[in-house]
Amino acid sequence: MTRFLMGAAALAVLAALPQCALAQDAMATRGKAVSMVLLPKFLGILPFDQAHKGAEEAAKELQNPTPLQFLGPTPQNSVAGQIEIVTNATTQGVKAIMISNNSGDQIVPAAKAAQAKGIKVVTWDSPIPSSEGEDVFVAQVDFSEIGKVMADMTLDLAGPGGGKFAILSASPDAANQNAWIAAMKTALKDPKYAKLDLVDTVYGNDESEKSYTQAQALVDKYPDLKVIMSPTSVGIVAGAKALQDEKLCDKVKISGLGLPSEMLAYTKNGCAPEFALWSFIDLGYLAYYTTYLLAADALKAEEGAKFKAGRMGEYTITKDPTRAKGLRILMGPFTIYNKDNVEAAAK
Amino acid sequence: MNWLKRRVRPEQIRELSLLVLILAAIVFFGSFIDNYYSFRTFNRIASSVAIITVVAVGQTLVVLTRNIDLSVGSIVGFTAYFVGTLIASHNGINPILAVAIAIALGAALGVVNGVIVAWGKVPAVVVTLGTLAIYRGVLVDLSGAKTVTTDSLPQWLIDLPLVNVAPIGSLDIRALFMLALVIVVAFQIGTTYLSFARRFYAIGSNPEAAQLIGLPIKSVVFLAFVICGALSGLAGFMLLARFGNITVEAGRGLELSVVAAVVVGGVNVFGGSGTVTGAMLGAVMIGTLEQSLFRLGISEFWLDAVLGLLILLAVASDAVILQRLRQLWGGAELKLLAKETDSVSSEQSASPP
Repeated sequence: MTRFLMGAAALAVLAALPQCALAQDAMATRGKAVSMVLLPKFLGILPFDQAHKGAEEAAKELQNPTPLQFLGPTPQNSVAGQIEIVTNATTQGVKAIMISNNSGDQIVPAAKAAQAKGIKVVTWDSPIPSSEGEDVFVAQVDFSEIGKVMADMTLDLAGPGGGKFAILSASPDAANQNAWIAAMKTALKDPKYAKLDLVDTVYGNDESEKSYTQAQALVDKYPDLKVIMSPTSVGIVAGAKALQDEKLCDKVKISGLGLPSEMLAYTKNGCAPEFALWSFIDLGYLAYYTTYLLAADALKAEEGAKFKAGRMGEYTITKDPTRAKGLRILMGPFTIYNKDNVEAAAK
Repeated sequence: MNWLKRRVRPEQIRELSLLVLILAAIVFFGSFIDNYYSFRTFNRIASSVAIITVVAVGQTLVVLTRNIDLSVGSIVGFTAYFVGTLIASHNGINPILAVAIAIALGAALGVVNGVIVAWGKVPAVVVTLGTLAIYRGVLVDLSGAKTVTTDSLPQWLIDLPLVNVAPIGSLDIRALFMLALVIVVAFQIGTTYLSFARRFYAIGSNPEAAQLIGLPIKSVVFLAFVICGALSGLAGFMLLARFGNITVEAGRGLELSVVAAVVVGGVNVFGGSGTVTGAMLGAVMIGTLEQSLFRLGISEFWLDAVLGLLILLAVASDAVILQRLRQLWGGAELKLLAKETDSVSSEQSASPP
């Protein structure tokens, strides 16, 4: 709860910041025809649909006469499909590609080829790990902070005595998932979490059935498991259902990153007492603003560059502290959901 | 030996050996996994087997007619998603009506397959590979990326997979598993004793002969696809009940498990032989492997590879072992004939046609 309040306070401060004179005024460059592609990890789940909504909102504000292309592969074909879409977009000569990378560094050759043709490549949600072929990454929240929040929630749910917990992730190739798991492992080194024991990491591939079966397998394999941490919206809800069906919600809790509308029932019945997320609508909105300004030459992808992103206020491009190289725009903040606020957020 | 040969068909030996293999697999996994011999493991496997079995029964009918339906995974996902959406917006819907809609929707998708295969004369592999992609594509497009979530479903549906219809000691026979058993028994009896249903075998075993004796080949093939679609629709409803959260990805890849179950269960891919019970045993084998490999911590990519390997082994054993068995059986019958008619049977069977 305190974290939620702090988050809210941070948001209030952000909104109240005086608009810096140095900041690029987005409104001055609006109305330019910039053909842009929004490429999610794959099609068919709500978070990416919300990001699309946010991007469309930004497109309308910026009066871009060229409609936004929302293209994505299927989950099964995510890695190859993303590379194919980037390559096709390059051939078609679009101006900018916004990608939530699910292909690790395998996307680099395609992204570099796009950049060589003058296309702006902006990552959002999930970056290119080596940052090669990427202009800038629009980060939802600070990745090391996600690690800490995940560790905190685990400790909360396991209780002061700690205990065993496992991670139920999406796919083994998802750059953001891997970065968060790594960040969590780093956070766990803090003596505060000494009693937490990470016993396993399994992958449900962002498929409901697979995630459900994986959660069942976890509770079978570790009879004294206390918490399942699932930093993916598909995994957390499928895992919660598995725990509920096994009537294990008293013993094992699930937490992670989930959508309030999908988690409502499980938060109320105690299977998933708390979980976290940020706004995917805002993330899509900010990614679009950033990319549009870059493609319209109103913003340079370099450290220290400032710009104003419509209703969300001012942002600065900085070095990405969570990767060796690469630039980042940090959106933030986190919201922690529990039985007090989940209902309002689910609407 | 001759007594045995007259009483038991080669296919039944095949099914018996599969049963032995299943037991061997269970002992194997039991020695590697802690707490494996538990009711929980049984329920896991039974719930997973139930859905595969229902689709495999439909698939068996299609395969018997020398065809294949690869679109079952998409049909299951399609019905699970749309019936889920329907129930989510009309929570008061009559459960029987909901099941009927699922079956009808699946059957309708089966009709498309059946018409193109039977009257369009396009090979079933091509048709159903196409509809596999088309049904899924339509689903992704119409869904608008919404997910059917458990909390939008009525309580009876959420409780359904946990309903225990026949408690045997502390062993649960859950409703969905029972439903699958009922379907297997019904179809086994039907395909054994109904002359109408024997047509599936006749057409697959010898299409030319079936045509000569005037069997309506096209309608029978069409019917096989419609029944397969209808059962896939029912499986879609079962998937909805079991998982509660249905994304557009529901049922993806199920065709691999189902085809593996049917082929491992001894249904001949060239049509004409195999039983619904065999397909169920195949499904039990696949379900056991799927659930147990998970617990061994083996990656799901290996699981798919193991399923592929099983399909190859099953088809190979069909070609080699079952062929030998049939020769052995056939030889015995010929010798019997030879004794009765005094003709030279050994030369007959040895000389090439």
